[in-house]
Amino acid sequence: MVNVMQAQAAEISSPPSTMPAVAQLCTSCHGAQGQGIDIIGPRLAGLSAEYIANQLTLFHAGKRQNPTMLAMAATVQGDNIAVVSQYFSQQAVADIPLQFRGDKVVISHPFEALAFQGDWSRTIPACTSCHGPSGVGGGQFPRLAGQQASYLKTQLLAWQNGTRSGDVDNMMGNIALKLTAAEIDGLSQYFANLK
Amino acid sequence: MKLLSLLTVGVLFSLPLQANELSIDVAPGLAPVNAATTLPDRQAALPSMDKKADDIYLQPAPLAAIPQGAFGDKVRLGYQLFVNTQQLRDKYVGNQLNCVNCHMNAGQQANSSPLWAAYFAYPAYRKKNDKVNSFQERIQGCFTYSMNGKAPAENSPELVAISAYSYWLGMSGLMDQYKVTGPVPELSDVELVKGGKRDDFSMPAAIAKNLDITALSQLPGRGFPKAPQPELAYSPERGLVVYQAHCQACHGENGQGQIIAGVAALPPLWGPQSFNWGAGMHRVNTAADFIYENMPLGKSVQLTPQQAWDVAAYLNSFDRPQDPRFNGDVSKTQAAYHQHQGYYGQSVAGKPVLGAESHPVFPLKN
Repeated sequence: MVNVMQAQAAEISSPPSTMPAVAQLCTSCHGAQGQGIDIIGPRLAGLSAEYIANQLTLFHAGKRQNPTMLAMAATVQGDNIAVVSQYFSQQAVADIPLQFRGDKVVISHPFEALAFQGDWSRTIPACTSCHGPSGVGGGQFPRLAGQQASYLKTQLLAWQNGTRSGDVDNMMGNIALKLTAAEIDGLSQYFANLK
Repeated sequence: MKLLSLLTVGVLFSLPLQANELSIDVAPGLAPVNAATTLPDRQAALPSMDKKADDIYLQPAPLAAIPQGAFGDKVRLGYQLFVNTQQLRDKYVGNQLNCVNCHMNAGQQANSSPLWAAYFAYPAYRKKNDKVNSFQERIQGCFTYSMNGKAPAENSPELVAISAYSYWLGMSGLMDQYKVTGPVPELSDVELVKGGKRDDFSMPAAIAKNLDITALSQLPGRGFPKAPQPELAYSPERGLVVYQAHCQACHGENGQGQIIAGVAALPPLWGPQSFNWGAGMHRVNTAADFIYENMPLGKSVQLTPQQAWDVAAYLNSFDRPQDPRFNGDVSKTQAAYHQHQGYYGQSVAGKPVLGAESHPVFPLKN
């Protein structure tokens, strides 16, 4: 674990200076450094290579659906999946002050409370119990902090209506189904504003 | 049998000993010389209760209702220590776990060993160490075993805080249930750490009228309910298949959890950063009970009883930190403390005998 953390730290401190050719196509929607372009394409920087690679394969398999990404993902195959994933995962994101679970006892902001404490009357765990402190993400759990609100919202809706799937035991689909429309809006705004 | 169940109510993970009786920093191979650590293991299988369909669970007041002032501050600190136990790393905690990893919803969730039920189950006599254990001694046991750490001293601020939080959850829930108005009565530190199962415990009359001391010590939802018996004898080999299908996504291929920003967002299940060989969760039955009721997190899928037992066996078939009661010899330690459903002292799938190469007890982080 220590090694993994050290490796991640090293990656962040020295992002690759040259973009692999296969990643060029991605940048018109996701930005040259994968910072995202609102509404057009979500931020890729800050996501793990493991996560990005998995999402590409889910687009290939039809478990994620988006007309643009259907075509674009098809251009990234084989070894290039890892190349593209590595490149974008190594792009820097701004440090944000991290809030750990338990830092606050009483959370008056309803969506911040959901993010850090969940709602166990509906078996909704805290978002941060998987996505990490302030939702910065790691491994198969994508970074939520600083992601576009519009993207977070469309994804939660996609989990709800089944057009996004592919995680083990439909974990995220199960949780998204329990969220109200107001909670989806509120959580999306909350995490998007952590930057 | 009734007596036995009373004795062990609320005891879930660890087998408490007084901190000052323990030789925590005993290196493997060196036997602690201490009467308390050489007591034979006379504890029955850890308690688990049948779950009834019509059980109504206590609902603690929201955290926002914790009062201002010194007492409320202790309650709030208890919550914070419980959720982010890593703030005690290297002081009292020797692994990557947080209390909330096993006690869902900050110790408030019914059937997840809730603090509000545990509080009223102590003090209790325990054969394990042949004495009456107060609530704080029970919590000390968690630090020693589940947290692979070093128990805070008696009456320390940490034990007072966790006791205060547990008491406040339980009392606020009872007061709501029995329509007792006003603030939760404040208790002194000395009173808080004892626990609520005692004749001299001050209980509002409206509650005492409805629940006697026995009923209070057996609130529905306490502990983990008993997982149904599996059809086949549990098997780590089958458990691997369950693990890969349902657990690995969160806990990792090697069971080491998911470390994010330096903390285990998802907890390690075995190895040096997990609970040690003295924690209750190393028992296959206890882990099966917990898993069946509480995993996978969010209950996107319900494991079958067979799957829960098999995967409990799987995760407990790996080495972990040594039993703090290790007496210098694995087979003797096994004979003294491991006459139950677990793998300490055994070889699984041709691997080295578990316990023979165990990780250190209470190592510093760096």
